[in-house]
Amino acid sequence: MAQSNAVGMRRPGWAQRLKEWLCRESTAGVICSLPFIIGFVLFLIVPMLLSAYYSFCDYNILAPAEWAGFKNYVKIFTADAKFVKSLGVTFFYALISVPLRLTFALIVALILLKNTKMTGIYRAAYYLPSIIGGSVAVAILWKRMFAIDGTFNTVLNMLGIQSNIAWLGNVSTAIWMLILLSVWQFGSSMLIFLSSLKQIPQTLYEAARVDGARGYQQFFRITLPLLTPTIFFNLVMQMINGFLAFSQSYIITQGKPMNSTLFYVVYMYQQGFEYFKAGYASALAWIMLLIIGAFTGLLFLTKRFWVYEEGN
Amino acid sequence: MPYRAKKALSATIYHACVLFLGFIMVYPLIWMIMSSFKPTTTVFTTAGSLIPTTWTGENYVNGLKGFGNVPFTRFFLNSLFISVVATIGTVVSSALVAYAFSRLPYRGRGILFGAMLVTMMLPAQVLMVPQYLWYNKLGWVNSYLPMIVPYFFATQGFFVYLNVNFINGIPRDLDEAARIDGCSPYGIFLYVIVPLLTPALITSGIFSFIWRWDDFLSALLYVRTSNMYPASLALKLFCDPGSSSDYGAMFAMSTLSILPVLLIFIFLQKYLVEGIATSGLKG
Amino acid sequence: MKKLSLVLALALTLCMLCSSALAETHLNVAWWGNQTRNERTQQVLDLYTQETGTTFDVTMNSFGDYWTTMATASAGGQLPDVMQHSTAYIQQYVDNGLLLDLTPYMESGALDVSNIGESVIDLGRMSGGVYGLCVGTNSMACLYNKTILDNAGIEIHDLMTMDEFMALCKEIYEKTGYKTDLGFGTESYLNYVMRGLGKSLFADGQLGITVEDAEYFFGLYEQGTKEGWLLGGDVFASLVAGSVEQNPMVYGSSPDTMSWCAFNWSNQLVAMQAAAPEGVELALTTQPSPDPVKSGFVACSMYFSVSAKTAEPDASIAFLNYFVNSVEANKIMLGERGIPVSSVVGDAIAGDLDPLTQQVVAFVNNVIVPNSSATPAADPDGASEVYATCRELVEQISYGAISAADAAQQFVETASEILAR
Repeated sequence: MAQSNAVGMRRPGWAQRLKEWLCRESTAGVICSLPFIIGFVLFLIVPMLLSAYYSFCDYNILAPAEWAGFKNYVKIFTADAKFVKSLGVTFFYALISVPLRLTFALIVALILLKNTKMTGIYRAAYYLPSIIGGSVAVAILWKRMFAIDGTFNTVLNMLGIQSNIAWLGNVSTAIWMLILLSVWQFGSSMLIFLSSLKQIPQTLYEAARVDGARGYQQFFRITLPLLTPTIFFNLVMQMINGFLAFSQSYIITQGKPMNSTLFYVVYMYQQGFEYFKAGYASALAWIMLLIIGAFTGLLFLTKRFWVYEEGN
Repeated sequence: MPYRAKKALSATIYHACVLFLGFIMVYPLIWMIMSSFKPTTTVFTTAGSLIPTTWTGENYVNGLKGFGNVPFTRFFLNSLFISVVATIGTVVSSALVAYAFSRLPYRGRGILFGAMLVTMMLPAQVLMVPQYLWYNKLGWVNSYLPMIVPYFFATQGFFVYLNVNFINGIPRDLDEAARIDGCSPYGIFLYVIVPLLTPALITSGIFSFIWRWDDFLSALLYVRTSNMYPASLALKLFCDPGSSSDYGAMFAMSTLSILPVLLIFIFLQKYLVEGIATSGLKG
Repeated sequence: MKKLSLVLALALTLCMLCSSALAETHLNVAWWGNQTRNERTQQVLDLYTQETGTTFDVTMNSFGDYWTTMATASAGGQLPDVMQHSTAYIQQYVDNGLLLDLTPYMESGALDVSNIGESVIDLGRMSGGVYGLCVGTNSMACLYNKTILDNAGIEIHDLMTMDEFMALCKEIYEKTGYKTDLGFGTESYLNYVMRGLGKSLFADGQLGITVEDAEYFFGLYEQGTKEGWLLGGDVFASLVAGSVEQNPMVYGSSPDTMSWCAFNWSNQLVAMQAAAPEGVELALTTQPSPDPVKSGFVACSMYFSVSAKTAEPDASIAFLNYFVNSVEANKIMLGERGIPVSSVVGDAIAGDLDPLTQQVVAFVNNVIVPNSSATPAADPDGASEVYATCRELVEQISYGAISAADAAQQFVETASEILAR
């Protein structure tokens, strides 16, 4: 704008003004955000509001929903032992599996950063479990591995540790098998770490080397601080995913034994699609949304204490 | 000499450790591939031993036969179409929106960003019925539209946020310099941000492709005709608890189903590494 | 002029489109099942298309997915014209007015039921109409590993009482080490035992049993756990639930994770035998009950129903008629959905059935039919949740986490509350 003023006092033509308006940061911001704005209005908000509405209804899917006020919510908070149980299981799972998974992902990413001829194959190998994901094959395999006569017990016995535990059938160990599965599938976080590690300018390391910084010093002074935004991102995403975990429990344990692996969303799904109480399921979902929202909000509040941001 | 020996030793240890862990990681895949060559009746009875006692290709023949009049290759092609198109949509739209969220401040941006985060916090399972009703209103049921169109509108917050995170990591001096050279915000996106964003774009591409490839829930709801099924949904047809299941064929088709994903990963991962290193970024 | 010709051309095309639509009837058909069923059914549809010109769009899914799809489809008013249905869900679909009453079509003869027994028609009768045509019958059965029993020199007979059976389980466990899967997770077993006590689990949509009745049932598991022969939750947690191939009767590496028997539907004998290790011969008998004759019944293995909103009721009925009455079609399907309901079809295909299926047919006709009582009504709303409650309590008993008395108390409370909605 300063430039156009300097050129002359002549008022710019409408095309010029349009162009200037379009190139203003705030206009460009809205224009570039348009896909999301449209997508949000067209595809996200309507179903979300509908489900919010259903949470105040008796709705069996087969017949139209009937308004029921706060009935579902009252029942959840006053007379639903499984709600409490599944919430507990889910918190336990999320709070343990997420940090483990991220730590593991970061370590492996650092190891695989090194460029050798084999690196491509290694990366593929470590990413594989995430590709297989929640398939039936994994479910069958996991059950097979940790059965009484499964591979895991066989290996333990070979190592001289006598074990005849049905790992998935034992109330206190079953949840750990699902946590293990989640840690085993650390690939997506690893990939994100890998690509952000590559974003750290090499010049910083060169400068550090000139200053005589050792490997671990470089890691704690350069790598880790510059990686904090990505760690934060992974933490937020994995927390959300952890609370919404579904398929591990649904395809492997169905909440068994004795509801010790009953994830919140699995319970919700049972209510919605097995018992045809979609209204109740919606109420459960919105309670979960509030919980996750609160958690994410908390995480964002801590952000400025430990996340490095350029220019701040 | 001792230095070289030491280096060789450390390299050997490195590879040994990585390989050992790697074996644990890929064991299930090996197990699945091996199982796919076992006669289907012995898949479980011989689950403990990895190598089939008798090798058979029968599972592949049975699997590829498909269901009814639809061969399994048709399901693969359906999956490929859906995954590729939806992935293109996701990668492009997410990068653009992320650019706005990261670099172009405007009123209401914070609220939009928050809204995006919130959309990720509702379990997908509870949205199934409302989404179905909505797409039914739009007349999109029994077509691929619900499985493709929304992805062109950055509806997956994960990818937007992922790109935001990466763009935040790109030094602002670069766009500042471009702006002084007279580059518009759109130009900066195309010529400065996108090239530097390659690792994030590749990462998004890999994730999106795999997730679309594995997704059976939306196909289950929106695709009513069996010949339009993607492979993910067709795979489930091999296992019916009410009668005998053909686990051999399921493993065979699962193996084939993983191949394209694996190939894409191996092909793309080297770009993931190159990205910034070759673009001569100065700090 | 140009415009007019354009309009004419458009109108002509439209007409052609319409007439071709009129000439070609199109139906959406949906079912659940495995590859065998998918293939055979598709062959029948192709045959029907050849004969009548009616074309089909088919939806096939596995059981669980099928019901998720159908529920959402019904919410959008998009149920297929003809759908396979199950006793577990049909009542809820009828209650919500989603299915077509077949009575008028049976009266007009469009749906020919002259060769189908009245009792079979009644299996689809509920809420004052016939909303599902039973396309195959079966019965509940106790499938067992005959080889184990032969080797141990144990003989069993049909129509065993509960006490006889419990003693047998103990004997088998002591002699062979094989445990017993006492209908763990078999939903219908609870009601089967209740019928033997002269009760009905569901009576007019309410709970029809008392705490004592429930305690009798849970007591069986408590006794089995104490005596050590009951196959418990820890074993089942390592198996793929409901999978025939991983049923502990045919799958496992040692007797203490395996069962000598499996409570299931009679037609499962074929699939189970296919999944059994070589050299193991399976057979079937009645499930144990305090009174097997009171408990036993002929069941509908699955229905075919027509959507209330179908645009093609007549064509749907015509297809249904063909499906149950055509000898040609049933020679392709060979009783895969249960024993054919039409006596003419049954006789015509009898010779084509494999020996195992013949064994199943003989069991139902010779053992169940003469020794059974009225078939229970289809499950009411809330039944699946009641079953789940029961399953969880049985699981807890097998872990020794709850007593039978407490389980019974809890079951009756929870179930009454679920059904009172």
